[in-house]
Amino acid sequence: MRNSECGIRNAQHRAARAATAPVRTEPLSEPSHTPYKESPRGPVGRSERRVDGREKVLGTCLYGADLFYQRADYFAQVVRSEMPHARLLGVESEAALRVPGVVAVYTAHDMPGTNRQGLIHRDHPVLAEGLVRYRGDAVAIVVGQSQAAARNGCNAVQVAYEALPVVATMDDALDESAPKLHRDGNVMGGKRIRKGDADRALEEADVVVSETFQTQTVDHAFLDLEAGIAQWDGGVLTIQVSGQWAHEERRLTALALGLPIEQVQIVTPATGGAFGGREDLSLQVYLGMAALKHPGKTIAMQYSREESMRARHKRHAIRIHYTLGAKNDGTITAAKITVYSDEGAYASTGPAVLRKAASHATGPLRVPNVYVDVYGVFTNNNPTGAMRGFGACQMAIAYNSMMDRLAERLGMDPVELWRRNLICDGDEVTTGQRIGIVTATACMDAALAKYRDDRRVDPPLAAHQRRGWGLSVICFGLGYGDGFPDASRATVRFKSDGRMEVATGGVEYGQGLLNMTAQIAAEKCGVPLSRVDVVWADTRRTQESGSSSATRQTYFTGNAVRIAADELREEVLDVAGKLLCVHPHELDIRDARIVGRFDPALSATLDDVLAEGRRRGHRLEGFGIFKPRTVCEDFATGQSPRSFITYLFGAHLAQVVVDVETGEVRIERYVACHDVGKAINPQSVAGQMVGGATQGIGMALMEEVVNEDGVMKNPNFTDYILPTFRDVPEIECVILENDDPGGPFGARGIGEPPLIAAVPAVLSAIGSAVGAQPHTTPCNPQRVWELLHPEQAARPAHPATTPAHAGMNR
Amino acid sequence: MFFQPKTIDEALAVRAKMGADATPLGGGTDIVVALNRVGSGAKNYLDLTHVVGYPDVQRENGEWVLSAGATFTRLGKLPVRALAEASMTVGGAAIRNCGTIAGNLGTASPAGDGCVALMAMDARIALRHATRGERIIPIAEYFTGFRKTALLADELITQVRFDADWRTAWYKVGKRGSINISLVCCAVGLSPRGDVRIAFGCVAPIVMRARKAEAIVEKHGLSPVAIDEAAEVAMTEVAPIDDHRASAAYRRAMCGVLTRRLLNQLQKETGGRASAPAA
Amino acid sequence: MAQLETTWRLQCTVNGGPVDCEVPQDQTLLDFLRIGIGLTGSKGSCLEGECGSCTVIVDGQAVNSCLVLCPQMQGRRITTIEGLACGEKLHVLQETFLDAGAAQCGYCTPGLIMAAKALLDETPNPTEQEFFEGMEGNICRCTGYASICEAIRAAARQWQ
Repeated sequence: MRNSECGIRNAQHRAARAATAPVRTEPLSEPSHTPYKESPRGPVGRSERRVDGREKVLGTCLYGADLFYQRADYFAQVVRSEMPHARLLGVESEAALRVPGVVAVYTAHDMPGTNRQGLIHRDHPVLAEGLVRYRGDAVAIVVGQSQAAARNGCNAVQVAYEALPVVATMDDALDESAPKLHRDGNVMGGKRIRKGDADRALEEADVVVSETFQTQTVDHAFLDLEAGIAQWDGGVLTIQVSGQWAHEERRLTALALGLPIEQVQIVTPATGGAFGGREDLSLQVYLGMAALKHPGKTIAMQYSREESMRARHKRHAIRIHYTLGAKNDGTITAAKITVYSDEGAYASTGPAVLRKAASHATGPLRVPNVYVDVYGVFTNNNPTGAMRGFGACQMAIAYNSMMDRLAERLGMDPVELWRRNLICDGDEVTTGQRIGIVTATACMDAALAKYRDDRRVDPPLAAHQRRGWGLSVICFGLGYGDGFPDASRATVRFKSDGRMEVATGGVEYGQGLLNMTAQIAAEKCGVPLSRVDVVWADTRRTQESGSSSATRQTYFTGNAVRIAADELREEVLDVAGKLLCVHPHELDIRDARIVGRFDPALSATLDDVLAEGRRRGHRLEGFGIFKPRTVCEDFATGQSPRSFITYLFGAHLAQVVVDVETGEVRIERYVACHDVGKAINPQSVAGQMVGGATQGIGMALMEEVVNEDGVMKNPNFTDYILPTFRDVPEIECVILENDDPGGPFGARGIGEPPLIAAVPAVLSAIGSAVGAQPHTTPCNPQRVWELLHPEQAARPAHPATTPAHAGMNR
Repeated sequence: MFFQPKTIDEALAVRAKMGADATPLGGGTDIVVALNRVGSGAKNYLDLTHVVGYPDVQRENGEWVLSAGATFTRLGKLPVRALAEASMTVGGAAIRNCGTIAGNLGTASPAGDGCVALMAMDARIALRHATRGERIIPIAEYFTGFRKTALLADELITQVRFDADWRTAWYKVGKRGSINISLVCCAVGLSPRGDVRIAFGCVAPIVMRARKAEAIVEKHGLSPVAIDEAAEVAMTEVAPIDDHRASAAYRRAMCGVLTRRLLNQLQKETGGRASAPAA
Repeated sequence: MAQLETTWRLQCTVNGGPVDCEVPQDQTLLDFLRIGIGLTGSKGSCLEGECGSCTVIVDGQAVNSCLVLCPQMQGRRITTIEGLACGEKLHVLQETFLDAGAAQCGYCTPGLIMAAKALLDETPNPTEQEFFEGMEGNICRCTGYASICEAIRAAARQWQ
């Protein structure tokens, strides 16, 4: 495109965007219909109160740190590396052992098992062996008779290090002279996509837009700090620590400690948030080891905020070199994307994050020619791993911004550009998987309609303020995907007191898992919700239901519960049939009564039927396992007919006011639209949408872990800035329910998409307000100011990662 | 040992005797943060929160007289704009209920919001000793270095006083809507006598004034030209650093922005007369 | 005035009941509540006054209990989350929190409810600005605040 054309079209584009209430030109698309529709009568679809809510508002529910004050015999604390990268020459514990109250000091030599952790690669020593790779690596454990003794003991442990050069950034790591942080070097290859011929398509494109994005390191910052207790009674090691996958924590802990699995039990206390931050092990092995060494004693442990931030894995900071090619009419023809991700010191769930990033590189866009390369680069920063969004979040920032830039280049209304390029029913996503039901455009239209229908008058602006609005559209594949085994199991039974018990392995950390399972079970078995108890995430009492992550619990565990409840219902109706001398098909259960479906005279109480069932020797228990298959990709092309079991779509819209002198951003209006298939509990779904959007606002505007030379500069809440009441506007939620034929009652899920959609919506709005598109997160006041004053802050060059296609712009 | 005097004289007696060996404790919002981080506290504390009159605020003889324990909640209600607005940007309600003006002055952080507002009103700090009595230090002489003040180890801050007729304005640049550690904060004060004070936080080792910028406005009044020049000059007087919160370039630019913005705001409100009386 | 070497005989009221015991002089009120008298409802999270999880009410004012030393509480009246419900009957704020789904993970909930109670006790019908002033010191990481605002406003409508 010639410069003058660009200029004119940019002005037109800005004029089009400047209108605050654009006219809607297209009707809302109709929700698609599916042949399978199960209509709920009972608690499914209702905003029931949280089944664990009462103890939360009373303050009586027990989180990890609440477990031990009356019970703990000993306290443990970890000595952590003060060096980002060093050889561990020795640990002297004599001085520590002389500290009053100190009972023992342990190092890697004392670890009975493999001393290895890591969800995917077992590359992370629990206690450092010879090398420390980040300033959070555990070096020793001190056990004391009080927290103060343990702490004083830690301060007295003497650690001898030989400092090694610090690999502080990805660019450092890629330098030839960089030390190798792992045996195979500093680069971890990820999934690649080769679809069509992106090189040729870019050459032939009318318009090419290229940009480099940099996202930041983010902390989960859940409020419930890591804490818990453990005890070894000579036969069983019982550990009570919050995680996200009790059964996997059990396996990993047993491995690290050298115990048979059946000798380790994980019990999950009330859990205050996770967001991916409890997916790696935290305290489990430290506590377990101390417990093994002191049989019969209850060991307790608790992190401070600083330790929590220094020790735990973080969200990957990702650099994305993104190039899009399109025709003059806006049809996108090609995408070439090179992604470098700061892996930190250890792999954690990084390999899976890189895969998910690659799989979502073009999001809900229809792009026939796509080349994607994703690399993980090890550094001496915190290991990076799971956090809500899991790689798809960072990619959404990029592809949404690219749409804004392309629209600007073409002088098109961004909404029209989206409409032209969003996938529709039957189209392929990045991995080549065809999505049968696509509601991306429906979500976008619903969000726009909600925004435009709001007749509130915006307050007038001061001279130094600018207003803008931005749109994001996203998609997200739920579950582990890529052929990894992914299963949930559940049991639903009637206890001897007539109450129904649902038992699943998933962790409730505030998202509403307990209600989702209880409401489905109550619906299926015709009992009131008040009659249902939920047992969860206790390896002694529950079967494995996979992790509470990947937005999978509703789909996977919801289905497992549905299957189990169906089994139980069949068994109950079987007994009822015998009791009433009719075929079970003629009966139904409603409100804890057996009723006739065709003959109103048929009636019995559920309690009578249960008693009859026990008399006849029935177990009155149903078991469900839900294990759908996804298909691993072709490694050369990254293509798979089914990378993910199902996809979620969403669209957000943000309106911001920017102080263009200070760079401060305030969000004025916000609309979030998600297609959840079916809202099992609408209040919980809205809660996830608002909560996830708020975390996205935090990532967009203010949250950032600052590392300098391998040292975290802000391991506290004074300088790790979280959104407060004042930072979040009223978020209007639009919930679309287009049945997923495979989900329980048609439900898909909700957990991650709201965060994924929020960050790009806010960035797009800032771009609209200030007339320059953001490229680096967070957009704190200084970064916005730098967007407006590019002469004040030169963008760093990254020759080590910049591919040839990064320069293509025409 | 934990001292909990009930009168100011008792408090001064302890202070004179123990000096730096007993940490004065007001709201605790700085001291206990440090304690929580380290895990253990000082050997001795001098708790001032039970001293009669500790949190009082009074207006007498055209002056506001803040007792040492005046909390940010209380100050947030004063009809003194810069001090009230600065106070309301300190933490949340719970912090403001405990945090005191003397604590702000005692910690002497260059980011101390209350200190910046006081600097724009030529506040006078009363330091008292059990037997030597009271001495008044003008706030411009109170901060002597990074987190260092003129307070001697055997003295206590008893009062902060400033004239009630200052017209002031305040702005704090932060990364979010609440509980901000300032990136940069600025307070501007105009007195009926024609004094102009432009005070900054976070752009030097101490809370500071841009004296050359002040002189320009004192000389030429609140004209657009003088305001612009003052903003440019203010940027040359500050000494911000690059740190993990913000860059020096950004902070410096914000000093110019805030000087211009607050002077313009006052100009509009006073009709251009720097010496207009306070509302 | 001064007492034994490093301990203090704390005499105050917690949830209407008298407290009289020796505490370490540098123990925070939060630790005393949780460890000393087993009231684990108040939570520690940031331990520097930035999150409000530890909020309790002292003589009618919201206070971050993690930043207050026990001896400072001499003679004071302290209310914690455990002091709100009346037997089986929940406090109106606890009911509205449940109705609005304002407790997700629940960790911030006790501190939030206490901050809200202090606000509404002082200002039963707060403006938006007063609302923010009273609540901005409490961080929630899960809900995004909307359901919490709904709960507090619903309680305000029923406040006595």
